[in-house]
Amino acid sequence: MAAKTIQPPAAVQKTIVITRFDPDKDEAPRKQEYSVPCEDNWKVLDAVNFIKDEIDASVSYRWSCRMAVCGSCGMMVNGEPKLTCKTSLKEYGERVDIEPLANFPVVRDLVVELDGFMHKFESVKPWIMRAKEKAEDKAAYDETKGTFSQSVEELGTFKQFSMCINCMLCYSACPVVANEPEFLGPAAIALGHRYNMDSRDEGNDERHDIFRGEGTIFSCSYANECSEVCPKNVDPAAAVNQAKFGAVIDWAKGLVLPSPSKSGGAK
Amino acid sequence: MAGPAHPHAMAPPKAGRTRTAPPQMPSTWWSSSRIRTYLLFDATGVIYFLVAFVAIRMIRALAKGEAAWSTAMTSLESPIYIAFHVLCLVSVIFVAVRFFRLFPKAQPRNLPVPPDPVIHATLYVAWIGVTLGLSAILAGVIF
Repeated sequence: MAAKTIQPPAAVQKTIVITRFDPDKDEAPRKQEYSVPCEDNWKVLDAVNFIKDEIDASVSYRWSCRMAVCGSCGMMVNGEPKLTCKTSLKEYGERVDIEPLANFPVVRDLVVELDGFMHKFESVKPWIMRAKEKAEDKAAYDETKGTFSQSVEELGTFKQFSMCINCMLCYSACPVVANEPEFLGPAAIALGHRYNMDSRDEGNDERHDIFRGEGTIFSCSYANECSEVCPKNVDPAAAVNQAKFGAVIDWAKGLVLPSPSKSGGAK
Repeated sequence: MAGPAHPHAMAPPKAGRTRTAPPQMPSTWWSSSRIRTYLLFDATGVIYFLVAFVAIRMIRALAKGEAAWSTAMTSLESPIYIAFHVLCLVSVIFVAVRFFRLFPKAQPRNLPVPPDPVIHATLYVAWIGVTLGLSAILAGVIF
C-alpha cells in the first residue's frame, strides 16, 4: 500500500507592509515591505510570525495565545483594528498594511504604550467591593448581612461585559479617544459597569465620581465603533450607554426624592 | 553553569522613560467605510446648524408681517431650498434609523425592558405618528 502523501498548502505571495519604529534610530514611524508566501489557512499573525522567523528578526510585536484569548496581538490591518490571530489573511488582497493600534503611543514597531490604558482600567476599581470592607469598624460589621449568591438573571445583567480580553481594539476604533486621549474609554467603562451591575458588589458609590466626572461616560457620543470591532462581542457601547441611562435615572430620582441618591448606575 | 541566552538578555533596563512615537492614524483611514459612515453621521450636525438659520429667518419674517412672510415662503420654493430640505430629510432619516437601531441595547438590564422588536416598533410608530400629526397641523387639517 502506497504511503499517503500530504500536499503542502498552496501559498500565495503577498506584500506585507509593516510600520517600523526604532526609538533609538527613527525620528518617526516608517513603512517596510516584505514579500511573504502566505498559505491559504493563515491568519494575519501567521504572516507576521513568518516575517519574524524567516525574513527579519528585528520586527517587534506582541502575541501569545494564538486563539483570541490573551488579547495581545491587536494591530491595525488595512486601517481596521483587528485581533490578528483571529483574522484570516485571505480576506485581504495582494497588499496588506499592518500598523500599530491607532490612538496609542508607539513604543517600537507594532508595540504600543499600555500605561495610559492600564491606568484607566485601574481607575474604575475593577473588583468586587463589599460594605464590610468599607466599614470603619470591621469587627462590628454584621457578617450575615448580604450574600454572595447570585441568580442566573443577575449574572445575565453583566456577564457579557466580563468577557473583555483587554485587547484595546475598542480604544483604537473610538473616535472620542482619538480626539480626547484622556477619555476613560470603552473597555474601562464596560469593566466598571460590569462591577456596578454585579449583585454582589456594593461599590457603586466608590465608582460614582469616576463614572460621572469629565471625560467619562457622557463624553461618549455613541458612535458604536467599539462594539463593531470587539472580537469577543462584549459590546462596550451598550455598557457605556446603560451607565448613562442609569445616571439619568439617578438624576431624575434626585429631583423627586428628599435626599438625592448618590448610587452609581441603576442597580 | 549555562549563561544567559543572549549577552544582553538580563541587562538592567535603561534609566528613564522609553521614547515613544505619537499615536498613528491608520494610513488607509479614508478608505474605511465605518469611519466614512461615522464622519457622515457627525457631518449631519452642520445641516442642523444651517436649518436653525432658516428657522430664525422664517420667525423674523413672521414677526415683520404678512408681506414679509409671503416673500419668505415664496423663496422656499427655489430649487436650492428644496434641495437643502431634501438633504435635511435624508439626514434626519439617516440619524434616526441609526439611533433607533442602537437605542434598545442602551436600556438598563436590571429594569423591566420590553424585547428589542417592541422597542423598535414603538420608536418607529411614535416617529411616524409625530410626523403625521405635525404635517396635519401644518397643512391645516387639524387645529
